Amino acid sequence: MSLLAPIICDNGTGFSKVGFAGNSDPSFVFPTAIATRGPASQPSRSGPALPSKPGHLASKRGVEDLDFFIGDEALANAKTPGYGINYPIRHGQIDNWDYMERYWEQTIFKYLRAEPEDHYFLLTEPPLNAPENREQTAEIFFESFNIKGLYIAVQAVLALAASWTSNRVSDRTLTGTVIDSGDGVTHVIPCAEGYVIGSAIKHIPIAGRDITQFVLNLMRERGEMAGVPPEDHLKVAGKVKENFSYVCQDIVKEFRKYDAEPYKYFERYEGENTVTGKKYGVDVGYERFLAPEIFFNPEIYSSDFLTPLPEIVDGVIQQSPIDVRRGLYKNIVLSGGSTMFQHFGQRLKRDLKQIVDRRLDASVAASGSHLKSSGVEVDVISHKRQRYAVWFGGSLMASLPEFYSFCHTKAQYDEVGPSICRRYQIFGSAT
Amino acid sequence: MILLEAHNHIIQTTLAEKVVKPTSLDVQFVDFDGVRFRLSTQERKTALLLSMSIRCWDELVKYGVHDVLKREYGSMLQPQPEAEYNVTLLVDLEQIPPEGEERDAAIKSISLLKRNALAAPFELAFQTQKQLEAAGSGQGELMAMHYRDEEAIYIQASPDRVTVIFSTIFREETDRIFGKVFLQEFVDARRLPTIQSAPQVLYTTREPPLEIRHLPGLKDSEDVGYVTFVLFPRHFTHPTVAASTISHIQLFRDYLHYHIKCSKAYMHSRMRYRVSEFQKVLNRAKTEVAVTDRKTASGRSMIR
Amino acid sequence: MSNVLRPYLAAVRSTLTAALTLEDFSSQVVERHNKPEVEVGVSKEVLLNPLTISRNENERVLIEPSINSIRLSIKIKQADEIERILCHKFTRFMMQRAESFIVLRRKPVKGYDISFLITNNHTDTMLKHKIVDFIIQFMEEVDKEISEMKLSLNARARVVAESYLAAFNS
Repeated sequence: MSLLAPIICDNGTGFSKVGFAGNSDPSFVFPTAIATRGPASQPSRSGPALPSKPGHLASKRGVEDLDFFIGDEALANAKTPGYGINYPIRHGQIDNWDYMERYWEQTIFKYLRAEPEDHYFLLTEPPLNAPENREQTAEIFFESFNIKGLYIAVQAVLALAASWTSNRVSDRTLTGTVIDSGDGVTHVIPCAEGYVIGSAIKHIPIAGRDITQFVLNLMRERGEMAGVPPEDHLKVAGKVKENFSYVCQDIVKEFRKYDAEPYKYFERYEGENTVTGKKYGVDVGYERFLAPEIFFNPEIYSSDFLTPLPEIVDGVIQQSPIDVRRGLYKNIVLSGGSTMFQHFGQRLKRDLKQIVDRRLDASVAASGSHLKSSGVEVDVISHKRQRYAVWFGGSLMASLPEFYSFCHTKAQYDEVGPSICRRYQIFGSAT
Repeated sequence: MILLEAHNHIIQTTLAEKVVKPTSLDVQFVDFDGVRFRLSTQERKTALLLSMSIRCWDELVKYGVHDVLKREYGSMLQPQPEAEYNVTLLVDLEQIPPEGEERDAAIKSISLLKRNALAAPFELAFQTQKQLEAAGSGQGELMAMHYRDEEAIYIQASPDRVTVIFSTIFREETDRIFGKVFLQEFVDARRLPTIQSAPQVLYTTREPPLEIRHLPGLKDSEDVGYVTFVLFPRHFTHPTVAASTISHIQLFRDYLHYHIKCSKAYMHSRMRYRVSEFQKVLNRAKTEVAVTDRKTASGRSMIR
Repeated sequence: MSNVLRPYLAAVRSTLTAALTLEDFSSQVVERHNKPEVEVGVSKEVLLNPLTISRNENERVLIEPSINSIRLSIKIKQADEIERILCHKFTRFMMQRAESFIVLRRKPVKGYDISFLITNNHTDTMLKHKIVDFIIQFMEEVDKEISEMKLSLNARARVVAESYLAAFNS
């Protein structure tokens, strides 16, 4: 039998992307949520959730643990009496292994309909993931599911690999800076030859959710939301963000443009009340360009986080070893849904270039014009697969024929034990 | 989720999506038992090609899979399958009925492609049984489907029943032992009054049942087991009952393995709980160490 | 605790308490080494006589004392194939997390299912009688857990079989 396509599973804090290698899009994208019998677990502040007592013997049926829903069905069932909703991943890391194991169980058997014994798996992990987490993951996949082989890749590295499809990338390198912005948090991660430079990673507490909230605030202030039922507010704001927002090059000019010809630039969003079916419409104005602006001028939204994204990126690269900095500036890769705004890449490139040039000029001046730098190339790469870049990178990697030789197989796992998964060879560079 | 569904989720969701908004696509995916699918658009965005490759196709052809698929899909069935695949359907999105139950039914029937292909030998066996019953004696042909590398389904019709035999193999010891427990329960469960009318189940390890003992190439090892289902006419005389019997029995192996895996997952969660309890006991032994508030260089306190 | 088990555990408890008289002891063989002597096993004079407490042929405890460390190995009751595999799974699961079980040995001594290694460092930083409590409670509950797991496996199997066969009725 010819080998079946490896399965790529990218479980993020908000959404899970799962599918088969070789495809350009994940087969399923659904929330990383599981609805189980019993109350929703309260997110605890300290440490990981303690495992709950599994169903006791006294319960007659003995299969209560199969009574659960995942993904969209979980959200749909969240209100059903008796069910509580749980999010097994928090801040990118698996928080509740019981729920996660069951989440995977249903992903594989109900949605993918794959016999795990016949497949290789590629999973993703956040940067700086603890090796113990890898071991636990391997334990679940090899012992519960008997999978053929496993490769665990760092999300940032896969995002770099995904950028190879862009026609602006000529050499397939795994050196670059990844800006990964999802729903919950934005990371800036420098990678050198497939290895993450852990000490230089920076997190920005501004991501998709904050942009939506910001749009909502703006629209409420203008009184647009009056005609919208309160329960739809967040949804409308999300739609406005996704469909109308873009990054402008200059806010002041943009404001002037809007004021001069409001009819040309204002958009109208038409919605329908989910309960009564009544139609409503809202005008979409300045939030079109203000929404993504919070990356570049965070002070308009938040009062405790004030560093603009380009400065953070520059800081991250400056903290990395000096011999890779050029590579990091030259290959800045975007990944995740919140980097999808139009012209996001250009704006970031322009701002970053200004910072870099200013520094170069300063050093030229400081040396009394004796030393002249040849200049630093700054490039930000956006590409078509940006939204699911991590998943796509995984799909790309796993469809290479050498993928199988980099996996740890079941036989190797049985021989060595879970600790085998502490180490994976980086592959894909310089091919 | 206790029972597995017969249809393929990916086909269903993709088609439902594409009917509303056709775009070009080319995806490959799988189903249980090594079935491969490819869903792609060629010249037009509204004409989707759905191809399937199934391991035991040649055997299925012998048992009349073409007729079954012809009946189910009519003109959708393409005379020439795509390269590397066994069967191809052309789904014209413009021909799909308008939104509503009819459309759902149409999409559902396409997503049952694998089920329908595998149904052929079962249907043949059910027909044979009727003929044999009329004749009063004789034995139907023993039909074998090697649906996985090392496992097969054997179907044979007799005048009063249809026998379905699954050969199973467990690659891992845990699975073998868990599997044994499960299969034993399958044999015993029928004693319950509520499911008296269910098919009779027999289970043997190593020793193949009489019906297939003469076949060459049966593996002789501790890992091999044979599960026999004896279907009586009441399971397939009525067409709708027959249809549900077929979809159900096809998934027997996947059902078994799914539950073995679920039990292991359940054991894991039990063990996690127990280990954390032990951890608490051991922590009680630790003498109190004054907890000092550890500060990072920037003056924030460390929270672990 | 069942009454039949009590004498066995009492014997283990008192032996273990008596054996846990450990002191700091630097290696006599290698300078500046301070290793659990029971593991190193080169200096015969600091090793004490190992002893086995055995309940029956399938359940026993081996205690190997030495001057600065003690090794305790347990053979857990395994009546049949299912219990054997469950016991194996459970002990392996626990040893996988040996990091947090300070006194747990990552590999069992040959012929046993699980081993603990208690050194003088442990008795210095932890309460001795509580360590003994932990071991005893472990022995007590591991049997219970395994038989419960076995029962739940059987119960599950029954439900699974019934639901499958019941579906033929419709």
